[in-house]
Amino acid sequence: MTKKRIGVYVCHCGGNISDYVDIEKVKEAVKDEANVYLLKNTLFACADSSQKEMVADIQAGELDAIVVASCSPKLHVPTFRGVAERAGMNPYNYVQVNIREQGSWAHSDNHIGATEKAILLVKAGIARASESEALTSSKIPAANVVAVIGAGVGGMRSAIALADMGSEVYLIEKEKNAGGHVANYGPLFTTDITGYELAANLLAEVKKRANIKLFTNAELVEKKGSIGNFDIQVKTDRETLPLHVGAFVINTGFDSYKPAPGEYGYGEAANVMTLPEFKKLIDNSSDKLIFNGKTIKKIAYIYCVGSRQDDEGDNKYCSRFCCTAAIHSSIQASKKFKNITNLHFNRGIRTYGKQELLYEESSKNGDIYLQFSLKSIPEISQKGGKTFVKVKDILTAGKEVETEADLVVLVTGMVPRENDLLVKQLKIPVGRDHFFNEIHMKLRPVETVIDGVLIAGTCQSPKNILETMNSSMAAAAKINSVLTKGEITLEPTLAKLNPALCTWCGKCAEMCPFDAIVQTEYDGRIVAKINEANCKGCGMCTPVCPTDAIDLAGFTNAQIEGMIDALAEN
Amino acid sequence: MEATLTGKMDNTVAGVANYDVLVIGAGIAGEESALKLADMGFRVLLIEKEPSIGGKMILLSKVFPTLDCAACITTPKVSETARHPNITLLTMTEADSIVKEADNRFSVVLKKKPRYVVENDCTGCQECETVCPMVVKDQYQFDLVARKAIYIPFNIANPRVALIDIENCTLCGACEQKCPSNCIDFTQKEEQINVTVKSVVVATGFKLFDPISIDRYGYGKYKNVITSMQMERELAPTRPFNHILRPSDGKIPEKIAYIFCTGSRDHTVGNPICSQVCCMYSTKQAQLLMGALPMADISLYYINIRAFGKGFNEFYLQAKDMGASYVKGKIASVSEKENGNLLLRYEDVATGKVTESEHDLVVLSVGLLANPAITKVFKNATLEMDALKYIKQTNLLQSPALTSIKGVFVAGTATAPMDIPDTIMSAGAAAAETSGYLNQWS
Repeated sequence: MTKKRIGVYVCHCGGNISDYVDIEKVKEAVKDEANVYLLKNTLFACADSSQKEMVADIQAGELDAIVVASCSPKLHVPTFRGVAERAGMNPYNYVQVNIREQGSWAHSDNHIGATEKAILLVKAGIARASESEALTSSKIPAANVVAVIGAGVGGMRSAIALADMGSEVYLIEKEKNAGGHVANYGPLFTTDITGYELAANLLAEVKKRANIKLFTNAELVEKKGSIGNFDIQVKTDRETLPLHVGAFVINTGFDSYKPAPGEYGYGEAANVMTLPEFKKLIDNSSDKLIFNGKTIKKIAYIYCVGSRQDDEGDNKYCSRFCCTAAIHSSIQASKKFKNITNLHFNRGIRTYGKQELLYEESSKNGDIYLQFSLKSIPEISQKGGKTFVKVKDILTAGKEVETEADLVVLVTGMVPRENDLLVKQLKIPVGRDHFFNEIHMKLRPVETVIDGVLIAGTCQSPKNILETMNSSMAAAAKINSVLTKGEITLEPTLAKLNPALCTWCGKCAEMCPFDAIVQTEYDGRIVAKINEANCKGCGMCTPVCPTDAIDLAGFTNAQIEGMIDALAEN
Repeated sequence: MEATLTGKMDNTVAGVANYDVLVIGAGIAGEESALKLADMGFRVLLIEKEPSIGGKMILLSKVFPTLDCAACITTPKVSETARHPNITLLTMTEADSIVKEADNRFSVVLKKKPRYVVENDCTGCQECETVCPMVVKDQYQFDLVARKAIYIPFNIANPRVALIDIENCTLCGACEQKCPSNCIDFTQKEEQINVTVKSVVVATGFKLFDPISIDRYGYGKYKNVITSMQMERELAPTRPFNHILRPSDGKIPEKIAYIFCTGSRDHTVGNPICSQVCCMYSTKQAQLLMGALPMADISLYYINIRAFGKGFNEFYLQAKDMGASYVKGKIASVSEKENGNLLLRYEDVATGKVTESEHDLVVLSVGLLANPAITKVFKNATLEMDALKYIKQTNLLQSPALTSIKGVFVAGTATAPMDIPDTIMSAGAAAAETSGYLNQWS
């Protein structure tokens, strides 16, 4: 084993770790491990003051490596690499050990076991640090060009923001026209403009900018490469274009929930319609609301159709925008037509934030709110050409109410769009609810685990237009801040090939998911060669190599074997 | 001019702005906007009126619906902000006046309050706190415990540097004698700093509703009625007691009630809107309490549950499955029994009957209010507010970061109540808008 001076820090994480893992026992158990030069515990390793202390320790002790036993590397690898760099230590000589997600949190019911596991993990981390090598990252040029997929209002807004920040934009829309759902909407809530106007305004802004190229009837059909340098093919109704882009902003939007045949009588009775259909009806009617030749006076709205479903449905989530959208439509109806009675059969109104004012306005209009639970949903029946809605109303202590309605509006939610091809090409992570998943829900809501693939708008989760705009612009800001530098730093944790050992059997090239392994000549023989710009350091090639000619920097065989030895020791 | 300002600004050309952007407020919105703009290469001046950056989020326990520890996920952002080469950070600093000279030129007068501690010399050792004889309420623990007159705001403060609360200081000099790095300086005065900037991002956040004005809930009168922010501190990793205790006698509570919509959806306190976060943070606290106190009963009295965001409804159902009891009913009044327990009187909507229930601790789920003081700082142009005193977004759906002043942008809860991810996205939008604006002149 290599002789090294290693600093080891065991973090309490406030109490997230130390409430379950006995930190003193961990320290006691690892203090005599080879190469441990300094051993400390810390309340929050990530706090700025702790980071400063580490920098001072590394410099004063001339440390070769550090081990931080705290949380998931997903959170803090950049933090402690930064500490190493500021202290003048190679950042790849830092090893993170996860004793929180893999220790205290996973075993909160077993303090002794959690402590024992933490000890082994820290020992393995020390073993890995003992074999760590200094690595240097390289830089490659990056194209400040972004492909925005989807030209609804969110996609157009991303494109405009990117163009104004200096990026080149390809705006790719699979429909004939830009504008998405919103281009078909009349009045929008919490604003004075209509959906038609908003979509038209944005399209005009898109067309004004020379650095946005809009493709309609277009689809992404091929993708190669990685952040900064993707080579893509875009197929339109006329041609297939090869394009070079640095990143993607995915803004593919949502589909409206389509009620199942017979769900609340949908498809059976003509006067049962969805909210989008009702909105069209309001917009297309002038002074009287007439449907099938009958003047509409009494409208029943049934909420949460396709959202917050029970065990039999897939959609467990709340669709967020629909309570406000339905109430807004009911206000529109009352404003536009005479003598309208609105009956809202809901499951608890969710007009959050300023949208509350619309709920208040509708209540003042005399709208009637009745609340039901999943256990007893409203029943729609037809008797003698008339439509009746029956419900057990929670707000009046479960009293059964039956009322006639001229129109039944199903307040349908958002569902994730079918995007199988795109998901496959870009490897976009999909969540349990089938919407796209961000890398971190709280602080990184527009980034994904795939570098250079950002998500915005309703493809990530249901949102209203304001929220869609914020997320679309945030995604634009994020990716522009990366690409505007003109270069991308490549992780040095790449596969390394020793050509002297390689006999070219081709197994590695077969395994590589990123087409990073090609043939070359060495010493008169055909051997493998790693294309570093394509290599993601996934390690798929190393175990299949029969001659051990490939090693993965940062995860070398020597490091992994050292870790296994440490873990197997007890 | 302050020494801390040099190095990161351009003083070389007469008439050129010192900074590209002034970001006002260093909570998560201000941090996010500042970081994005700094990453794009703009020179950012970030000011914060408190002695530490991090805003309200850094004081929270865990966040919904991920149950991530707030300190763990916010400290990387905080230290990245404090260290970024393109960001100049001034704490304890407020904008005193902003005058618009041109579309890309604002003259700004800043006032930086004295710490009475030399910021660069303090090592954060807290030796001074051990000798200070003055004990006062700790505002960062929301008055649950006390601090000294010289103090570090909280453990993970950034900068982690002491300050003297001069109003409560007796000038005894004990700290000065004890300080190993000689950094106490009673001669410090408020400083005035003049800068010019090309643009401004307003990220001044929100105010918490103070429930003292709702007499019928008894806050301030009954010791065991606390706010949700106080409960947040009891649950945080840097908690004051290391246990959940009720204030009157230090008893571990067994029957806890939450009163939702305290100061929200309430015309009598002048705030008719929903605060957007209280349902979910209360649900989160209920889950954490059921973990910390497995035998305790948690009842949550609500009007409607606003579990609307990604993963929220699932999180709410999870709390119910864990045993939290959600009761639909608005609390009419709270009264105190001799043993410190509290009687809640309400109409139980499920039965339609007026009911009373006894609890040994009551938590008020306080709402968010606008924080409009910043509008007074703009001298020759009006930063308009909406009817609720939030900063008015003049092109709401098309360009949500635009305000009534060209060159002034808005981010986060300065526009409306919102949760953390919505704030991050709004701050990102403000950064995009500001960057696009600044590019016109480059």
